[in-house]
Amino acid sequence: MLKVKALKRLKDFFLDVEFEVKKGSYTVILGESGAGKSLTLKIISGFVKPDSGKIVLGNRDVSTLPPEKRGVVYLPQSLGLFPHMSVRDNLVFPLKLHKNELKKDLLEKVVEEFGLKGLLGRYPSQLSSGEKQRVALARAILANPKVLLFDEPLSSLDFHIKVKLMEFLKTFKNTYDLTILHVTHDPLEASYLAEEVIVLSKGKVVFKGKPENLLTSGEVVNSSEVVRAFKRLSDLVNKGSLSF
Amino acid sequence: MSRLNKAFVILGGIGIAFLFLPIFHIFLNLSFQSLLNTIKDPEVINAIFTSLKAAFFAVLLSFALGVPIGFLIAKTEFPFKKFLETCINLPIAIPHVAAGIALLSLFNSKTLVGRLFQFFHIGFVDTIYGVIIAMMFVSFSFVVSASIVGFSSVDEDLELVARSLGASPGYTFFKVTLPLAFPSIIRGCVLAFARSLSEVGALLIIAYYPKTAQILVYERFEEYGLNAARPITAVVIVASLFIFLTLLYLNYKFFQKRTDVKG
Repeated sequence: MLKVKALKRLKDFFLDVEFEVKKGSYTVILGESGAGKSLTLKIISGFVKPDSGKIVLGNRDVSTLPPEKRGVVYLPQSLGLFPHMSVRDNLVFPLKLHKNELKKDLLEKVVEEFGLKGLLGRYPSQLSSGEKQRVALARAILANPKVLLFDEPLSSLDFHIKVKLMEFLKTFKNTYDLTILHVTHDPLEASYLAEEVIVLSKGKVVFKGKPENLLTSGEVVNSSEVVRAFKRLSDLVNKGSLSF
Repeated sequence: MSRLNKAFVILGGIGIAFLFLPIFHIFLNLSFQSLLNTIKDPEVINAIFTSLKAAFFAVLLSFALGVPIGFLIAKTEFPFKKFLETCINLPIAIPHVAAGIALLSLFNSKTLVGRLFQFFHIGFVDTIYGVIIAMMFVSFSFVVSASIVGFSSVDEDLELVARSLGASPGYTFFKVTLPLAFPSIIRGCVLAFARSLSEVGALLIIAYYPKTAQILVYERFEEYGLNAARPITAVVIVASLFIFLTLLYLNYKFFQKRTDVKG
């Protein structure tokens, strides 16, 4: 389980969040741009130091640990594939760093399951957007994270690629029994992926729970355009009028 | 082609002619025999070798001291950062004879700094060390500026991802940040090398000896006139251009291409 409690005051923004993410869950943080979503992820990753608070992973307080020792992998919108390394070198990067803990045969398994066999010799600039996503996810898995943090990784994709990848994300989350915290302002992603939803507004958590409970929480729904869109999409899916 | 483009082509043509005609003109009225004699002249060979050796060490030192400055300016925040960035470029604005006098003033054997180096048997007046620091002084800012550009162009996300995948700050620097900034840094080093080879003013003051190629060109012109200086000038120009273009090509082949792979 991941427990987050953080306060951070910036020049014109104040973040005050407290929530928990269950082990093995797919939790989506939904909110408008500027709600503090990415800042929250960077605090959990250890890239931004909060003014006060605590990040607990399992039974361990990781608040004072540097990013590389927290056991969380951060995946930004740009995906962060190293452009000067081939796909193989990108995938091997975390393995070299965790050589005592990880088995090398995991690489073969992941390459197979993510359909990357024919791409190993290519460079990131030679990949399609869907392939880049798969390489980035595979590399994240190879780092053996306790929690995966996604910072709008699908937001720049075309609709049909996005739907394919969301399906892929669901499958690979279940296969590897991952805990995922996914930040987005896209109600489609939230309605498709979320097992738990956290709604963030102006630096505060205004809702935390099952997506179906959010839909009945009129006050929260009316507070944000993104959440209203999320409700409309979910209603359509529930009525069977919308399928992917 | 629009009228504006035509006008720009004409103006640009004049600019290019201004750059290249003087260089080509050196090779006119140049006899093959005089060129051959110059190439065989041990003093010329020694001078070119001294220039290359000193420029190499000047760039090496600039690399060792300039890359960390470039990194700090590009990737961290600290007071007076903009001021420091401006100061780094000051040697470009200082007349190079003045730079030579400033170096001589600090590094002569009567100052504390001069005496400190003397302790290690390093003197700067009319020695290869003097040539190196004079070259370094005028070319250092090229390496720092190129490092700033190189490090600034590295997407911060790449460094964050590397860290979260388990890499320490040092590992991230050497495996991700530096390799991506390297093509730009090397371009700066090539320019610094070229700038070092062209320095005369500061050398005249602090280290006339051992004679570098550029000092020898100056000396031949002063002592024997324009016609006597032409052959050695031609040799120095060809040698400098050859090295400059070779370094640029090697940079492209081994560093630039790796990060510019297109699908």
